[in-house]
Amino acid sequence: MDALAIVILVVVLGLVFDFTNGFHDTANAMATSVATGALKPRVAVLISAVLNLGGAFLSTEVAATVSGGIVKEGQGGIEITPVMIFAGLVGAIMWNLATWYLGLPSSSTHALFGGLIGAAIVGSGFNAVDWANVISKIALPALFAPIVAGVVAMVATYSAYMITKRATSRGAERGFRYGQTVSASLVSLAHGTNDAQKTMGVITLTFVAAGYQHSGTAPQFWVILACALAIAGGTYSGGWRIMRTVGKRITEVTPPQGFAAEASSAATILVSSHLGFPLSTTQVTTGSIVGSGLGKRLASVRWGAFGRMVAAWVVTVPAAALVAALASFIVSTGVIGTVVVVVAAVAGMAAFWMLSRRHPVTKDTVNDDEDVLARKPATASVEGAK
Amino acid sequence: MNIAWGSLGLEFVVSLIFAGGLVSIFALGLRLLAVGAPDQARQGADGETTERLADGELSLSHERPTWASLGAYLCFAIAVAVVLYGIYLIIPQFQ
Repeated sequence: MDALAIVILVVVLGLVFDFTNGFHDTANAMATSVATGALKPRVAVLISAVLNLGGAFLSTEVAATVSGGIVKEGQGGIEITPVMIFAGLVGAIMWNLATWYLGLPSSSTHALFGGLIGAAIVGSGFNAVDWANVISKIALPALFAPIVAGVVAMVATYSAYMITKRATSRGAERGFRYGQTVSASLVSLAHGTNDAQKTMGVITLTFVAAGYQHSGTAPQFWVILACALAIAGGTYSGGWRIMRTVGKRITEVTPPQGFAAEASSAATILVSSHLGFPLSTTQVTTGSIVGSGLGKRLASVRWGAFGRMVAAWVVTVPAAALVAALASFIVSTGVIGTVVVVVAAVAGMAAFWMLSRRHPVTKDTVNDDEDVLARKPATASVEGAK
Repeated sequence: MNIAWGSLGLEFVVSLIFAGGLVSIFALGLRLLAVGAPDQARQGADGETTERLADGELSLSHERPTWASLGAYLCFAIAVAVVLYGIYLIIPQFQ
């Protein structure tokens, strides 16, 4: 396969992944603000998109390795090829779209890691993956993030309710809405300085691997611009399916809870990235919302909805790895295989989009308190009745 | 394998101090603003009652002692400072 063709495919798929990353994570910052009415849905996604765009330019710290040490790259390890990255991106995008269709918040970073793991195993065997790092960088943080954020949010919510007499003191609800808008914006900005950089790193390292760019040089400006626009565009497009789950399905979020949850998310994310214990934004914000439900009243969390999310988190890495492994295997057969994977990937994206049209969630229905798939579809199919 | 238990513990404590502190101080400011005003109706199960009453009623019209006003402004100033510190931490160019 022509090297240039694969590099172009990686750039395109990288930007598609960045876009899915954007609409997957809008809910992290904005779901509670939309749920409490602190911000109108369109305004919320606009603020989040602008902050993600700005954040992408602010932080120039691009990951030095594609996989962050999950796959043994470089000296003494394997060489990550553009083909592996291509297959990894296919796996990550497919998993992101599947969880979006189901309305489940899942970590885009984990999907990307999973995809790379799958591609690396097919390319170089199980030894290509640093399994100790898989546990210490993916599994344990995924276990701790919701617990830490949840306990912090529970204490903060309890405190907010106690101090304002369960938010009955005059002006408290309205005041908390203002606070919530500010703290949610902080989460958005922090997200922007992190997530677009991952795609920039993937594209830049592909250029290096293909010999188009010297190792250790900064990303091209057009790469920074394209990634920033892709993640902001994805953010602005809404991701209403996931937002409804996060804002409405876990617990009925009130302004004091929303403020406490977003403040806890912002604090946990900022502290974690400064102490070298990076936690998934998705898992932190979900944990915060559960904690805020517990802090208000112990019984107000719908554990079924939370359980489904946890299941999605557990499955994320293996599922993306499986798709990527399959893609990697087919690509290895040659040009025809690559074309087959590209066609299958495009067909898969189209299929998820078509499926989502049957139970659409829009800015107008984002606050409906029902399961994403529970809405009666126009056709006779009852696939969604789970 | 390298599990940073110390970092995790510190992470938890520092997050708790910042988030709990910010929320409590902001809530205290709101409570102080409401000194002298009657409480709103107890929140219904869905929060609707309070929501209707609360909107547009963050007025300064009721009698509020000076100490309450000063205390409230101090609380909001601290909250703003914490948020600015958060922005400072997020933006690498500031460091």
